[in-house]
Amino acid sequence: MTKWTDRLLKFLASLKLAVFVLISLAVISAVGTVVEARYNDAFVAQKLVYHSGYMYFIMGLLCINLIAVMVDRWPWRQRHTGFVLAHVGIVILLIGSWVTQRYGIDGSMAFQIGESVRHVTVPERDLTVIASLDGSTFNTIFESETDFLRDPPDAKNPFIVQLGADQLKIVEYHHFAYRESQIIKSALESDGPAVRFQLANPNVNLSEWLRRDLTKAESQVDLGPARIVLARQMPSPTGRNEIFLVVPDKSRKLRYAIYNKDKTLRAKGELKESDTIETGWMGLKFRILRFLPNAREEVRFIPAPRSTPATTSAFRFEFRGKEYWLGLNSVTRLYLEDRVYFISYGNRRLELSFPLTLKQFRVGTYQGTARAASYESEVEVPGRGQVLISMNEPLKHEGFTFYQSSFERNEKGEPVISILSVNHDPGRGLKYLGSFMIVLGSIILFYFRGTTIFGIRVRGVKK
Amino acid sequence: MNLRRFALVLLFFPIFSWAMSLSQALDEIPIQNAGRIKPFSTFAQESLQLIYGKSKYNGKDATEIVFTWILIPDQWMNTPIIELRHAGLKEALKIEMPASERHITAQALFANERVPLILQELNTLRGRQEKLNPYYQAVQRLESQLGLFQAIRSGEAIRLVPDPESDTWKSVPELEGEMREAFTAVARGFVDSIVKSSGSNNPQASPELETAVREFMDKAKAQAPEKYADMEKISLEHHLNRFHPFMWAWIAYLAGLIVLVANQMSAQTWSRFTAFAFLYLGFALHLYGMLIRSYIAGRPPVTNMYETVVWVPWASVLFGFILERFKKDKLLLMAASSVAVLCLILTDLAPTVLDKSIHPLEPVLRSNFWLLTHVLIINLGYAAFFLAFALGDVLLFLFLKDEKRFAQTIQTGAHSIYRSLQIGVVLLAAGTILGGVWADYSWGRFWGWDPKETWALISLLGYLALLHGRLVGWVKNFELAAGAVVTFSLIIMAWYGVNFVLGAGLHSYGFGAGGVEYVSGFVVVHILYVAYVSTVRYQRLKNQTR
Repeated sequence: MTKWTDRLLKFLASLKLAVFVLISLAVISAVGTVVEARYNDAFVAQKLVYHSGYMYFIMGLLCINLIAVMVDRWPWRQRHTGFVLAHVGIVILLIGSWVTQRYGIDGSMAFQIGESVRHVTVPERDLTVIASLDGSTFNTIFESETDFLRDPPDAKNPFIVQLGADQLKIVEYHHFAYRESQIIKSALESDGPAVRFQLANPNVNLSEWLRRDLTKAESQVDLGPARIVLARQMPSPTGRNEIFLVVPDKSRKLRYAIYNKDKTLRAKGELKESDTIETGWMGLKFRILRFLPNAREEVRFIPAPRSTPATTSAFRFEFRGKEYWLGLNSVTRLYLEDRVYFISYGNRRLELSFPLTLKQFRVGTYQGTARAASYESEVEVPGRGQVLISMNEPLKHEGFTFYQSSFERNEKGEPVISILSVNHDPGRGLKYLGSFMIVLGSIILFYFRGTTIFGIRVRGVKK
Repeated sequence: MNLRRFALVLLFFPIFSWAMSLSQALDEIPIQNAGRIKPFSTFAQESLQLIYGKSKYNGKDATEIVFTWILIPDQWMNTPIIELRHAGLKEALKIEMPASERHITAQALFANERVPLILQELNTLRGRQEKLNPYYQAVQRLESQLGLFQAIRSGEAIRLVPDPESDTWKSVPELEGEMREAFTAVARGFVDSIVKSSGSNNPQASPELETAVREFMDKAKAQAPEKYADMEKISLEHHLNRFHPFMWAWIAYLAGLIVLVANQMSAQTWSRFTAFAFLYLGFALHLYGMLIRSYIAGRPPVTNMYETVVWVPWASVLFGFILERFKKDKLLLMAASSVAVLCLILTDLAPTVLDKSIHPLEPVLRSNFWLLTHVLIINLGYAAFFLAFALGDVLLFLFLKDEKRFAQTIQTGAHSIYRSLQIGVVLLAAGTILGGVWADYSWGRFWGWDPKETWALISLLGYLALLHGRLVGWVKNFELAAGAVVTFSLIIMAWYGVNFVLGAGLHSYGFGAGGVEYVSGFVVVHILYVAYVSTVRYQRLKNQTR
């Protein structure tokens, strides 16, 4: 060995480097926890900090340092047992983590009772463009994983998708944004009607938009004391306080009918903007604030400072001089003279080789409260029959593990949707082996070598 | 009365008069509240603590006070009992009261037009699941205070009788027939007792009241015997409320600590023996309290901040005793007992931050096996580092006094620190890895960079840097002591800061609020202390070499 390789090995194996690596790791990790608290989102912290270039560099340095120090101590003696075990353990743990990161799957699966699902949703997000010439055949003409979080597109640095002669230009991206929709007048006959009404008495004052797509027979809103329905044809009463608003397709007239709880008709007739009618329920007055025979919903997104359950990711793009917003996990259509483009942006789905069916979902509560004490899903697994998945008791099947993760309730508060997290981890064995070696190694290192407790010399005390 | 209970009563009840106080007659009536069955005394103390901010009202027991809320609600409506301290909230409610005045009547709040508006704002924020700032945390507290007071006043929260048809017990207004009569008899007995001992500040329970309570409980049990409370647990819990083992424990530790310090000055065998006697007594009381609490809750005592602040110092004392056996280092026990006194006094002083009520657990935590392995071991690690921290404090003091004179003490002290740090590193590493294994088992994620686990890792890295530095001699005795003190800040961050400052992540079931200024003050004072001792020592060494 030449002198400079000797010196390089000494440096790579040095404690100076080790302490530098330890402290750097600590500092980067601390920054990560602050980033997570700042954005209230674990995924952002992972992307921006824990899986950043800095982190990988330091981790790489740590591996080099550990390997170098073991090469440096060669040949190993018996007294090196603890030292070697602990340090090799760390390297194995890191390799295991890398295998998981590279080849593992960490996704989720949500289904309603009775539903059968055979795909897993993973955090990776794809931008897909599908073209259709005749409305029956579809071609995927663009598909790519997008990482707008790390490298958000903007007006100066747009993300461009070439679609034939046209360009789809993504010019704005927000990882956290609130969706805002507005109902505006439309010139197209293919857009359905919309009504903005007010329901008020001295104590209550509610105003709402109600819009109906021409594809649907009716749309409704439940305001507690009354149900308001916007329909194509006059519906029949269901035994609640109800106001029916009827606008037939392609009509510009608004008719109404008010029914009491006992299904008796209180009043009916025609309404115009700013007309007011007495409902007779607790002195409530019903007033038409706006009536649009053709209306459409315009969606925009407003950036949010941090993640909340109401935020989603969204981008704005330009196409043929017009602007569009697209939120996560949604699709928008671009109509051209001879074709339609479907632009979709959403979490990637992985197909499983088998479906899972949710047979039953139960939430146990603590006595006398609505507080969940346990939740469990009964699922049908092909070839295995019904299996119970509960907190701390996952299901393992064909290399995947299914964990009870959470659930959602419907408007009535009944739990109806079960959410499982789904995981495939080829690095698990390595991580466990590494962990075991670290713990065993540290115990040997600290307790069975050179201690005063066992009457042997004290180590680590230099004057 | 079974034997065990009888023995407990004999051992721990300092009963000077055999007559029962008014509260005692009602204390052990089981009540269903917040997802479990507890003695009325626990319910009353928790309620008074939340609403009034103290566990007693004008020296009167919570049980007595809360019971009168049910009986004479109107009078209490106009008594200032709702604690309101947040200046911003007072201003928002346009309440003008002197800064020294902390309580307001429920009537004033119910009549305040702004209360519903502010509660509505809180609801909007909660609907968006946004993190609440201190102002809205105060609003949230006000909401719980008013809600609970209203529910007690109306009797809705007072669920005393099991319902054979439902999991929810029947509340006072829902009682019918003989149960209603039985409750009325209790109420009558209660009022009569007060009338009889008119004017006395400590009214006694009349025999009629005692009989009425007994009959009420018998009849309530007969409604659905299998759903009724385990009376043994109820009386044990009540005993825990009355006896305060942790208070007696810190008093004993403090006595031991004082004798130990005195012993430093004149080494005598009797004082050593006395110190040990006190410390063992404190240790036993401490253990006794934790065992009862675990038995009542049915799980290891490490599921919230309060429980860990009780458990960690016990383990510190345990490590202190064990290491002392081998090292004969007097500083060890001094450090360990200071940790215990500090933590246990804290649990008494800060009841709103360290909430001691036994709450039902989140579903994912309901695994005693993992609680025992992961959480208990992590906290054992904290305990070892806490011990090292306290030793570091003492050692720095010796460095400041006279490094040469105490050279021998410092040397053994540094060994003890080194040893504690090693114990801590192994336990924290093992506990963190076990956390990974639990997460992998329950969520399929070995390591998810959750802030709690990340801060455990950061602490571990900090201590590893210190231990590695020691190996090559960069870290000598002084740096080791200083390092043990400074690095403990990382543990404080992992233990307290993640839950109370960062407030993010999967471990959100342990989250709470309050005390940030005191904890940061504690950390800053210690860092300043280390800086001061380092400067003084550096100057001294420079002068010596000159």
